[in-house]
Amino acid sequence: MKSPKAKLAYAENVHELGRIFFRIGSLSFGSGNANIAALHRELVERREWLTPAQFNLCYALARVAPGTNLLAFCVAVGWVLLGRAGALVAVLALSLPSAAIVVALTRLYEVYGQQVTILTITRWILAATVGIIAASAWALVRPALGRRRWIRAAIIVVGAFALNSFLSVSPLKVLLGAALVGFLWSEHKER
Amino acid sequence: MNLFVLYLLLLKASATSYSGLGSLPVIRQELVVNRQIISDRQLSAAVAAGRVTPGPAGLYLVSVGYFAAGIPGATAGLLALITPSLSVILLLRYLRQKAEHPRVKSVLQAVVLASAGLLFSATIPLGEGFLDSPWLLMVAIGSFLIMIFTRLDSMGVLLGAAGVCLLMEAVSLLMGRP
Repeated sequence: MKSPKAKLAYAENVHELGRIFFRIGSLSFGSGNANIAALHRELVERREWLTPAQFNLCYALARVAPGTNLLAFCVAVGWVLLGRAGALVAVLALSLPSAAIVVALTRLYEVYGQQVTILTITRWILAATVGIIAASAWALVRPALGRRRWIRAAIIVVGAFALNSFLSVSPLKVLLGAALVGFLWSEHKER
Repeated sequence: MNLFVLYLLLLKASATSYSGLGSLPVIRQELVVNRQIISDRQLSAAVAAGRVTPGPAGLYLVSVGYFAAGIPGATAGLLALITPSLSVILLLRYLRQKAEHPRVKSVLQAVVLASAGLLFSATIPLGEGFLDSPWLLMVAIGSFLIMIFTRLDSMGVLLGAAGVCLLMEAVSLLMGRP
């Protein structure tokens, strides 16, 4: 059986990489995790271009990198496979098609957003969006609510909420404060 | 608006977030509250557009950019979204070992939790803007509960909301109400 590197040598071309990321970026709904699952199936299971360990490393570092995890993941995978060109092609191929759709939807909203029926539907969609945003926040909190760890998590979440909502502290300052709290109050065991 | 300034503002938001909508509080503070370039309604429409589109959730920045400055603004939004992700290359080169260090993990977790608190905080003014009827309040609460307790993705929730709205409009027409 050929090593992942040798297999990559067969398929090492930017066009093919771009095609895969373009297809997944255009068709995978359901947030970053759905895209990452699709990329795992394509790059690790089907084509074996990446070993599971390489995939996991890209995933872990993408979680650490600032910004959108999925895009950082694309950059990491592209870079591991094909260097700078791979990183650039992977991130652009994944994000450009959906960015074009977003612009089209926004334009539609601008043009038709004031028609009575559209306005009514838009109000319902915007109301649902409020619920979705709150659910996104909850999804960030939930993994940290383990036994005995919830007090720290609750203090940070409620503290950030209160500082921003009631004292108008800017989000950046809140995040910097949270980083300091995380540095001083660690519940991860040092090895 | 100056495109470079717009790019920097969007970059500031995207570079300080660790999730798709984590940048929302900074965007709202800078573009809605401080500079009044876009409205809360447009910001929510941008989030909705980002959620019904395949790809990363943070794509709503493209829509925010479009509302602020048309196609060039959307391009600035896309670039601002992509730029911070390039830092992962530095991490791959130099920080492979440190990423798993307990204190680094602790700092990151605290930042993620604070992002959640800020997101909750951003939800309130957005809701105040257009949850002006019991029906809309129920839609917001229902969407929240569906997202938490089911596996339905956000696009399904948004399309469901639109579908129920159309159904109610149709029923209302059939019953002869204005």
